[in-house]
Amino acid sequence: MIDEASVILASAVRLTVPLAFAACGEYIAERAGTINISVEAMMLGGAFSAVLGATITGSASTGLIFGMVAGLIIGFVHAQFSHRLGVNTYVVGLVLSALILGLTSFLLDSVKLDTNNQVNAVNIPYISDIPLLGPVLFSHRWPVYLLIVLIPFVWWLVQRSRFGLELRAAGENPQSADVTGIDVRKRRRQALLICGLLSGLGGAYLAVGEVGMFNQNMTAGRGFVVIAAVIFGGWTLRGTIAGCLVFGAADAMRLALPALGVQLNAQFLIAAPYLLALLAMMFLAKTHRAPGALGIPFVRGTA
Amino acid sequence: MVGISKHFGPVCACGDVDLSVAAGEIHGLLGENGAGKSTLMKVLLGLVTPDSGQILLRGKPETISDPLTAAARGIAMVHQHFSLVGRLTVWENIALGDRGRVDREHIRTVVREVGERYGLAVDPDARVEDLSTGERQRVEIVKCLRRDPDVLVLDEPTSVLTLEESRDLFTVLRRVVADEGKAVILISHKLDEIIHATDKVTIMRQGRVVGRRITAETDERALAREMVGRELSKWTAATAVGVMDALIEPGQTEPASGPQLEVAEEPTTADEPSAQEVSTPEGSVAADPSGATPSAAAPTVTEATTGVLLRIKDAHAISPEKIPLLRGLTLELRAGEILGIAGVEGNGQSAVGDLFSSLLPLTSGTVEVDGKTIAAGRPGAMHAAGIGVIPEDRHASGCVLDMSVAENLVLADLGGISKRGLLSRSRLNERARALIEEFEIATPSPDTPMRLLSGGNQQKVVLARELSARPRVLVAAQPTRGLDIGAIEYMTLRLHEAAKSGIAVLLLSTELSEILTLSQRIAVIHRGTIVGEMDRADVDVERLGMMMGGQTA
Repeated sequence: MIDEASVILASAVRLTVPLAFAACGEYIAERAGTINISVEAMMLGGAFSAVLGATITGSASTGLIFGMVAGLIIGFVHAQFSHRLGVNTYVVGLVLSALILGLTSFLLDSVKLDTNNQVNAVNIPYISDIPLLGPVLFSHRWPVYLLIVLIPFVWWLVQRSRFGLELRAAGENPQSADVTGIDVRKRRRQALLICGLLSGLGGAYLAVGEVGMFNQNMTAGRGFVVIAAVIFGGWTLRGTIAGCLVFGAADAMRLALPALGVQLNAQFLIAAPYLLALLAMMFLAKTHRAPGALGIPFVRGTA
Repeated sequence: MVGISKHFGPVCACGDVDLSVAAGEIHGLLGENGAGKSTLMKVLLGLVTPDSGQILLRGKPETISDPLTAAARGIAMVHQHFSLVGRLTVWENIALGDRGRVDREHIRTVVREVGERYGLAVDPDARVEDLSTGERQRVEIVKCLRRDPDVLVLDEPTSVLTLEESRDLFTVLRRVVADEGKAVILISHKLDEIIHATDKVTIMRQGRVVGRRITAETDERALAREMVGRELSKWTAATAVGVMDALIEPGQTEPASGPQLEVAEEPTTADEPSAQEVSTPEGSVAADPSGATPSAAAPTVTEATTGVLLRIKDAHAISPEKIPLLRGLTLELRAGEILGIAGVEGNGQSAVGDLFSSLLPLTSGTVEVDGKTIAAGRPGAMHAAGIGVIPEDRHASGCVLDMSVAENLVLADLGGISKRGLLSRSRLNERARALIEEFEIATPSPDTPMRLLSGGNQQKVVLARELSARPRVLVAAQPTRGLDIGAIEYMTLRLHEAAKSGIAVLLLSTELSEILTLSQRIAVIHRGTIVGEMDRADVDVERLGMMMGGQTA
């Protein structure tokens, strides 16, 4: 029983990790005022590029860097369109998502990719032997430990650094921020770049970390789960990560339940994260407040 | 500041303005909305680049191109609408304009120090959104003062404050000036605060400086006259030329025997003819408050009209942010009259406009049309009750710019041109053509997008639409704002005709000249309530100015 629980929990953590990387990025982007729906494109592009990179260099870890770069490029394009040219963010996000889906599907057919190249797992000596907790927390591929360092860093960046302060001001009240001498659109572009970097890493981890290969549309809407997680978490980092865990666990259950002999509609479990996000929005709408200018483009001199 | 000029398109916001402020004084900058006060200060702050002119600091010419340069030169401004971010804490807001690492402890200490030095106590860890407006302003001032500026500019600082808070503010300002030799520029249209708080005052009107006074040597009356004088002379000029005569005399007042104002029965008003207005020396005999004196014209107005058509009783309303918009506003409007609501912008005019557009629910009080109470705030209720509205901002809420002229013309009355839920294209066009002809709308065709029309023609479309719905009450908010002379004249004429045809017209305007030209009765709105009313013939511009400035003289 303990073994089964530990397997399911470990799988939940594994499935949470790609979400959590991307969610850290999405959290930053949303705090700066952009609802970045191209996070799906960033993850998918990251996943593909990571496998491509791993195939070319033979190193899965280098593949992760390829993935990050891909995410960064998508973030750059998105940032230029929505926070320089002033094109509607949602439209840009949707177009990018459709574009990357098509592009990766096309490239998948034209390029021969490795199918079994994964980054190394690191078992932390001794504590990984602790029953239940050991395998759940301390027996993972190495980027998982990077995530554990990343989360406090993101918190510090947003809550304590000058960059984060200006970022939040840009997301809450861009007019005031502007009067104070902050370049609102630049901050928002920068936030999108960070989001691209982290989401690309999340996608890359999914591909070269967990699966070891690339399938068509392999992120399958995880980007939208990430957006849901940020909403679920009420635009706090803690809540966002908790949201990722909930959604990761739901995903793990979906995979584990049939093996345990429980008959439950798999489709329902796929839908569960979104249902949870809706419920969360319903009940938390009063207490949680989105950044004041979330999703509102900033034009100098208005209001 | 020497010879500052700034034009926005054809509009001259500042023309050759000189302003000099000495260290150790509080300098008032007085003027109506649009007099150019804020523009002048924006030039000083580097938010607006002037067309010409120079800024001299301690005798040295300086180029101030952006707010950061201004800050570096020791000029700081407390904005009318605060530049604070509500979700952040006080210390975070104060840290916002800095550079380098965020040092929380340091900033908290600074906040406390500055607070103590000037008596501006604020808790650095409080969230700004939890603070009262008075406290927020304190934060804003601390934000400015911590950089030790030499010149502190406050733009309408008391417009959001209670009386008590205003008093505290002026105590602080006095300390800033007296103890540290800083210069404070106080932008205001409130006469009492200019009188009480400033050492010197510069009066602006229509982008020009029209007077410089030592505050101690002048009084509210003289200032009021200088602040609004232009409106009077412009109006009288128009009357003298005869442009407006025909409009003003629809048999409501006594036969024209010259400019209206001078016909007022109050004998003392005879010694303030309009031409003298501009140059009246401050010491001259001020007119008596003539409100108590009944005018011969007043009964005529009443006779010409029937009973009360629109009645607002003790209306109170608050904004979604819980800021009071209306505070016990009471108003009566009779059929066939034009009632002008004068007031400085932001005193509840928009709320009145929203009320009649069914956008604003009342927290208490009633709106009655013909004795029947209307459910305020229920969509369409006001329209159904026969109230037509010409909204303040025709682009935002007056018309749909991307729809055609014809479509815009029939928007308010789709029932008349549709059959079984479907629009009848031919009826629509017929209707539109008739209205285009009747209202002399210059458009290439009924199908032309609204966007392509001139402002005047757009406004005509709005007017045509509202009048074609045969309203009993017409509310016109700033109906001539931004229009050219021809269009203004047309609107004026039409509103008069509307009134003559028995429609009760409520005119909301911050342009005193517009009010004076159009209205038969004038009410003054201040802080969400009507502070005074007078007939057009009894108008004493000075008294009007004082009422608009919050003086119930």
